[in-house]
Amino acid sequence: MLLLVLPAIAIVVLFLYYPLLFIVQMSLTEGSSYLSPAGPIYTLQNYAEMVSRYLPNVLVTIELAALAAIVDLIFGFPFAYILVRKVRYRNLVRSFMVFPMFGALYIAFGMRFLLLPGGWVYNLLKSFGIQNPQLYGLPSVVFAMALFAFPFMVLNIGTALSNIDPTLEEAAACLGAHPLQTLQRVLLPLSRAGIVAGLMLVFGWSVGAFAEPLLLGSINEQRSLAWTLYQRGVVQTDYGLSTTMGIVLLILAFAVTYVALRQSKGVLGE
Amino acid sequence: MNRLLSTRRLTDIASHAYIWLLLLLFVMPFAALVNYSLTGPRGEFALQNFAYVFGSFTENLGWSFRISLLTLLINLAISLPAAYGLVRYNYPGKHLLFAFLSLPLYVPAAVLGIALVLTFNFTYRLTTSEWGLVLAMVVGSFPLMLTPTVVALKDLPIVFEEAAQCLGASKWQTYWRVVFPLIGPGIGAGMLLCFIIVFNEYLVTLFVKPTFITTAPVRVFNLVRTAGLLPTTAALAVVMQVISFLAVLLFFRIYGTRYLKGTYLL
Amino acid sequence: MSSVRLDGITKRYGHTLAVEDISLNIAEREFVTLLGPSGCGKTTLLRIIAGLIEPTAGRIYFDQQDVTYLSPRARNIGFVFQQPALFPHLSVADNVGFGLSVKGVRKDVIAKRVEDMLALVGLSGYGKRMPAQLSGGQQQRVALARVLATDPRVLLFDEPLSALDRNLRETLKYSILDLQRKTGKTAIYVTHDQTEAFAISDRIVVMNAGRIEQIGTQMDIYLHPATPFVAEFIGANNSLSGVVTSVQEGEVTVDADGLRIHCRPHSAFREGDAVLGYIRPENIALLNDKDDHDVHHIGYINVFDGVLDRVIFEGATAQVRVNVNGRELRVDVSGAQRLTLSRRGGRVRIGFNDVTLIPKPA
Ligand SMILES: Nc1ncnc2c1ncn2[C@@H]1O[C@H](COP(=O)(O)OP(=O)(O)O)[C@@H](O)[C@H]1O
Ligand SMILES: [Mg+2]
Repeated sequence: MLLLVLPAIAIVVLFLYYPLLFIVQMSLTEGSSYLSPAGPIYTLQNYAEMVSRYLPNVLVTIELAALAAIVDLIFGFPFAYILVRKVRYRNLVRSFMVFPMFGALYIAFGMRFLLLPGGWVYNLLKSFGIQNPQLYGLPSVVFAMALFAFPFMVLNIGTALSNIDPTLEEAAACLGAHPLQTLQRVLLPLSRAGIVAGLMLVFGWSVGAFAEPLLLGSINEQRSLAWTLYQRGVVQTDYGLSTTMGIVLLILAFAVTYVALRQSKGVLGE
Repeated sequence: MNRLLSTRRLTDIASHAYIWLLLLLFVMPFAALVNYSLTGPRGEFALQNFAYVFGSFTENLGWSFRISLLTLLINLAISLPAAYGLVRYNYPGKHLLFAFLSLPLYVPAAVLGIALVLTFNFTYRLTTSEWGLVLAMVVGSFPLMLTPTVVALKDLPIVFEEAAQCLGASKWQTYWRVVFPLIGPGIGAGMLLCFIIVFNEYLVTLFVKPTFITTAPVRVFNLVRTAGLLPTTAALAVVMQVISFLAVLLFFRIYGTRYLKGTYLL
Repeated sequence: MSSVRLDGITKRYGHTLAVEDISLNIAEREFVTLLGPSGCGKTTLLRIIAGLIEPTAGRIYFDQQDVTYLSPRARNIGFVFQQPALFPHLSVADNVGFGLSVKGVRKDVIAKRVEDMLALVGLSGYGKRMPAQLSGGQQQRVALARVLATDPRVLLFDEPLSALDRNLRETLKYSILDLQRKTGKTAIYVTHDQTEAFAISDRIVVMNAGRIEQIGTQMDIYLHPATPFVAEFIGANNSLSGVVTSVQEGEVTVDADGLRIHCRPHSAFREGDAVLGYIRPENIALLNDKDDHDVHHIGYINVFDGVLDRVIFEGATAQVRVNVNGRELRVDVSGAQRLTLSRRGGRVRIGFNDVTLIPKPA
């Protein structure tokens, strides 16, 4: 039976786990010394540099991802609740929700048009009397990232909510609970696992954001790790440093994903 | 209280309005792209931008379809047996194994890209072949095929396989005549997800692609970065999304949406 | 059409024994039912016979052939599951022809056979339909046709009617028996429903906790339960616990829960034996006060006076609880007599002859 799973195992071992180990090794070498005929020079310098020079990059990456996760939670919880409890036209909603899945590139690109002088958002703000709004920056980046990951949040919270028996809410209401009390004392505690999983997964996905900071951000947001990694690695071939950024990114993504997957029940069930 | 304006009715209206507002936000970036792609040089309505699609972009589209197709085939070949091995047999560590196989979904694309390009360079010598790109797509996307297949197989009562066996079918006959047709929607869902992801993938591709290949999304990305906001580029992005959306509609037509359960799409 | 022989079949799941040391001979063309409460190992045993599960120990023979380690497809059995398990993507005809088609039989031969089988189960002309277009009962009949089409050596049924509603169960169980008689197949049928078992079996195997409690005909099991489990599982029973006080010319006297009971048991008992006594509620008569005194004249060797505790009118019968010396006995009353029962707390007299005695298990 393991024979059946073997090809899949081979693929992930050869093309995921080995390459990840490889960049761990690479992150411990200096610059592009891995290539030099004298052999690689092993050093912790890259990690030291991450702290001394690239700490702001790490922090802005975390900031953007965390904000995106929080925005998704705030907008996603009511969305999921209404979807699960009140909406009959779910197929239609699902059809709309596939758009973010086509990729953050199109979202970011489309939003650039919206934010352009003369674009819809620009005109809208102007009609509110805001002159020359600074539209490229953190809010736009977070908005695009949140939009991209929104279906994830809805999926996780929606699954949790649909497992809550609606009669519990009715029971709370009959016992005299105000809707906000029902939310606070019944819905939130019972959907906690879904909320935590949603937050973590959105955060884990968002730390790798690439197109949104690049196309919608100011200099500050463009320091986010994925884009910096690309420049250092592919453009400047500083393998040591870029792989170090990769490792940091990986740790950020996995730390929370691990928590998320522990919270949500696996696909295989019991 | 006025029946038309009862609290219940008001909350209902507000709820649906909220859903529609967010759905509108979802399609806004796309709508903006459509709007600009249909705008001529003097701000008038024009279709000429789409003529650009039929130029050198067809070559990029060709590569994207080719890479997607090869990836799908390999994904099928490794996911179907893996799903069977994961669902129909019991052994310790099964859940761990599934997590181990699903992990690629959670690796940031830039990390996968840098890790693969370096090993392709130094270990596998795959940088100059399209197979490097295909394998990179496979490792990043096959869990998307595996998951719905696993779900479908788990939901398929084992009694069908037992009935086939008792009627004298061999293992292979049971797979081909009973199991595969019955988990078809699950496999279809997996293929759809893989197609959408691989067809629109540009980040890992940027790292690992050989110089002679430029896929459609990479072309769009390069144009956005170097040429700025051109209506012609918007036209290309619109075409990409329309193709993807048609794939989704086709799937919904055939199977409905319920088989996407447990995946990215609810 | 094979005989089936089980020899010491045991199945262990970790620490639980699902089936324990079962030996059983089933003759060619015989209809044998495995009857027992849920969880007693019936399904496990049947699936072992089918080859869907390998036993931990023991052997299975079809005729003289040892099939213990053969796969289900090599055994040539017909298995009817609880759900019809028709392949939902195949038409009725393709379902019925499935077994022949996987063996590579020619298409026209299959078509002919499918027609015959559908006619046999009374569904001629349904071949083109999809399973979802049939009712539950029709689906189960197609499942029967599908199984019969391969001409199996043994028919195995795992509660095939339990998912259907009552009326359908009533008619389908006789259809199953009918088909088995017509085709002359050996049949092993699993159920937890004793009326079903009684209606269709040649012999009944009563199982409990993975073991066989008793094998016998309906009469054997009803009249002479071999163990306390069988006495209490089959039908209703008043159970008393006591000691044999005298044995004379086959008549045994037992002091049980304050009652002195006389009976003529099948097996031998000695004075001082601890026994369990069972009296069926339908075998106890409510006597009129006028039928008094000389008990032997009315034909009952056991007669007691008691107090009517409670009458539960159930329609065709009435359940009466009679308190005799502080011991409550259930009496089932049928016929016109049940309509005149209205007194509560009144004095009544009861009489009975048939008592089953079973040695009290240590
Ligand atoms: N696959 C299994 N793993 C563990 N225990 C099992 C398994 N199958 C059956 N059992 C146990 O074996 C016993 C008999 O089960 P079964 O044969 O299904 O009973 P029945 O069909 O008479 O209701 C039960 O106690 C059940 O819990
Ligand atoms: Mg059973």
